[in-house]
This record gives sequence, C-alpha cells and structure tokens, in this order.
Amino acid sequence: MNIFALDFPPVSHLFQWPDILFTGNEYIGLNKTGLIYIAALLLTAGLFWAAGRRRSLVPTGAQTVAEAGIDFVENSIIMQTIGPDGRRYLPFLTTLFFFVFFSNIFEVIPFIQFPANSRMAIPLTLALVVWAIYHVVGIRAQGFYQYFKGALFPPGVPKALYVLVTPIELLQILLIRPLSLAIRLWANMVAGHLLLVTFAVLSAALWGTLYVPAVLPFAALILVTAFEIFVSALQAFIFTILTAVYIGGSLHPEH
Amino acid sequence: MSRRLWAAAAVIAAVVALSASAASAAETVGSCILDEIAAAKFEGIEGEGFTAAKNLKTLAAAGDEHAEELKVALGDDLEGCFDAPNPIIPEIKEIVWGGLAFVVLLALMYWKLFPVVRNLMEQRTQRIQDAIDDADRQRSEAAEVKANYEAELADAKAEAARIVDEAREQAGAVRADLQARAEADIAEMRERAAADVEASKRQAIADLQSEVSDIALGAAEAVLGRSLEDPEMQRQLVDDYIASVGAGQD
Repeated sequence: MNIFALDFPPVSHLFQWPDILFTGNEYIGLNKTGLIYIAALLLTAGLFWAAGRRRSLVPTGAQTVAEAGIDFVENSIIMQTIGPDGRRYLPFLTTLFFFVFFSNIFEVIPFIQFPANSRMAIPLTLALVVWAIYHVVGIRAQGFYQYFKGALFPPGVPKALYVLVTPIELLQILLIRPLSLAIRLWANMVAGHLLLVTFAVLSAALWGTLYVPAVLPFAALILVTAFEIFVSALQAFIFTILTAVYIGGSLHPEH
Repeated sequence: MSRRLWAAAAVIAAVVALSASAASAAETVGSCILDEIAAAKFEGIEGEGFTAAKNLKTLAAAGDEHAEELKVALGDDLEGCFDAPNPIIPEIKEIVWGGLAFVVLLALMYWKLFPVVRNLMEQRTQRIQDAIDDADRQRSEAAEVKANYEAELADAKAEAARIVDEAREQAGAVRADLQARAEADIAEMRERAAADVEASKRQAIADLQSEVSDIALGAAEAVLGRSLEDPEMQRQLVDDYIASVGAGQD
C-alpha cells in the first residue's frame, strides 16, 4: 500500500500471521499470536515459580516483582473495588493481570514486536470468562431473582423510567460490559501497534533517502515505544480493575 | 553462570521462534500480486507454464484482444491483495491456543504457584509482627527489670545508711561504755589507793606509836635510871599517854 510514496504494509499483514505449526489447520494452527500467549503463560508461571523458590526474607528479583504484583492487585484493585471479601478472587485477578500484561508487552520486545491482544481472540475470551464469573458470583451471592432484579431494576429510579432503564441495563450486563471490556483492550493494542509500525516504517523509509528528517519520526518512535510500555501495563490494570468492579457489583449490589 | 547461560539461550530461542513467524509474514502487496499472477491460469490462452514471469510473458503475447478477459480473470484475485479480513472477528486457532495458555496458567497458579508466594508473604508479615511483639515484650520486661533493680538499689542504699547509722550508734555506745568503765576503774583505783594510803598511814601511825613508846620507855628508863618494875604495866601507861596525845592532835 503506497501512502506518501512509502510502502506501507497492508494492515492485515500487521496482525495476521502464518502458521508455523499445524499449518493451515483452522482450529489448532499455531501462529505468532498463539506463541505469544504461550510465552505469556511461561513468563507468568516462571515468574511465580522463581519467586516461590527463593523464599528469602528480604525479597529480590523475581520475588519482588511477583510480590509487588500480588500486593498491587490486592491493595490497589481488590480493596478499592470489592473489599476484604474479594481476597478470594486474588489468584484469579493476579493471573489475569500478569497474563494480559505479558501478552501486551511483546509489542515493544525487539524482534517480536507484536501485542497478542491486538487480535480479538483473548480479549474476547477473557471478557466472556469475566462475564460468566460475575453473573455466577451475583447469582450465588444474591440468588437468581434478586440478582437480576437488582441489576435490571436499580432501586431509587422512578418507576416510569424503568421503561427506559431496564432495557439499557439488560443490554449493559449481557452485552455492553463484556464487549466494551474486550474491545477496549483490543483497540488500544491495535492502535499502539499501528502507531509503532507507522513511525518505524517512516523512520526506515526516511533513513534510506534523507537522513536528517528521519530523526523526527525516530524520536517519536522512541517516545511511542515508552508510551506503549505504559499502555501495556495500564490496559492490563484496567482490564483487571473492571473485572473486580463487576465482581464487586455482583457481590454488593448496594454500591 | 551456566544457569544464566541457559536462561539467555532460552530467551534467544524464544525470540527467534517468535520472530521467525514474523519474517515469514513479511509479505507486501507487490509480492501478493506476483503470487496471484503466478497462480493465475488463463483460460483459452496458450501459455508456457504457471510462474509469474511466464504468465507475464503469456499476457504480453496475448495482446489487446484478450484484455477484457484478463481483467476479469485477474482483477478479483488481485483485489484480494488489498483485502484485509475483519480484524474484530477472532480466529478460532488463536482462541484455542490463547485460551489453553490462560487455562493452564490459571490451573498452575491455583495449584501451586500463587499459594507458595502468598504464604511466603504471609509468613514474612507474621515474622515481622512477631519480631515487633517480641521487641515490645522485651522492652517492657527490661523496663520491669530496671524498675526492680532501681528499687533494690534504693533498698540497698537505705540498708547501707541504716547499717552505718547503727554502727555509729554502736560505736558511740561502746565508747560511752568504755569511758564509763574507765572512769569507774579510775575511781576504784583512786579509792583503793586512798584506802591503801589510809591503811599505810594507820600502820605507820601504829608502828610509830609502838616505836615512840619504846623510845619513850627507853628514854624514861634512862632518865629514871632504872627500869620500871612491871614492864607490861609501864608499856600500858605509855601507850595510853601517847593515845591521849594522839587524840589531842586529831
């Protein structure tokens, strides 16, 4: 695709990867996206394994990272949104946070440079898992009738407004929440990847012809790379905290 | 050292595995068009085979008369080079691998990884809490010991003062006792001396009296020139006299 005389790769080539294992199989073909998810699994598991193996009183290295992660999820996410009874979900939310973060951060890892969550597969899958969890938690905590009554007929709303509010709330808990959760993560990663590719292609093209102007897009590339590291962590945080908010809402309808 | 080498090798292998996939996808629109041309089979046109270069030769040889046919035959295929599949529709294979990775990770975390680290954190919290409690306990114990020690010290000081006072008192009493005894001794000695003196005086007087009476008798005999007839009677006479003289002197 030619844009301003630059050979910009077609968008599909930035996100779709050929299979390297089980080639061509629609169901189990393993491509770069799948490999990154496996890498995210290995990194998270490796981090916690290393953290649990050292067992020193003063934490260092992996132990610091794992413990800081747990501490962060517990104090900055669970205690802020669910409260002390949300501690039960700490392992799940910690796993969610690290898995999403590691899938994202490959966006800036040299030679890999692809955020696995810029493919819809895992954002949607995780969003559906979260969707199932907060419904189950709500039904178990309040009972089926009470849970849906509280969710669809929020107290304090004038009766006449239920005509408007109830369909919106129904759409919200059944469709909007999981979709917004998935699309937010996916779209952020797509945008970040496109930004990085744009500045990288621009830098490379200008470097080949006019050396001086390449400085600008290259500086922008460095800035965007730093920004994307931040976004990777931020989106993992947002995905996790929204999950906690939804679970908290199902546990304590009064909030 | 070797562990670090292994870790570095693992990281490099992972990066190569992940980027190999990237390299194979380095496809451009141009290469896609060439692939499509190579794959194209032109009906009704005699050709030399099916590679891009041969197909292009075939196209050139075919000339204008087949232009419309070629457009139709190739157009749709080439259009596909610009088509991108809907990016929001997830691919099943990616869901399978990603979902599998997440489920395995979740299972590992619940099974062992998370509880181990969590227990470690709780143990540390407990240890620090215990250390603080212990320090508090020891501090209060030390304060108690200090208070006891100070109380004992104060007692000891009071006791010492009491002992010194008592000793001083005792010393005073002893001194007074000794002084009294000494004074009594002195008085007794003085008395005894006085009695001795008196006895000696009496003895001396008695001795003197006897001596004097003997001398007087001798003198009287010498004066009278004869001895008195009854010496015993004479002595009596003299003694009486001396006694009367002595009495008169007293």
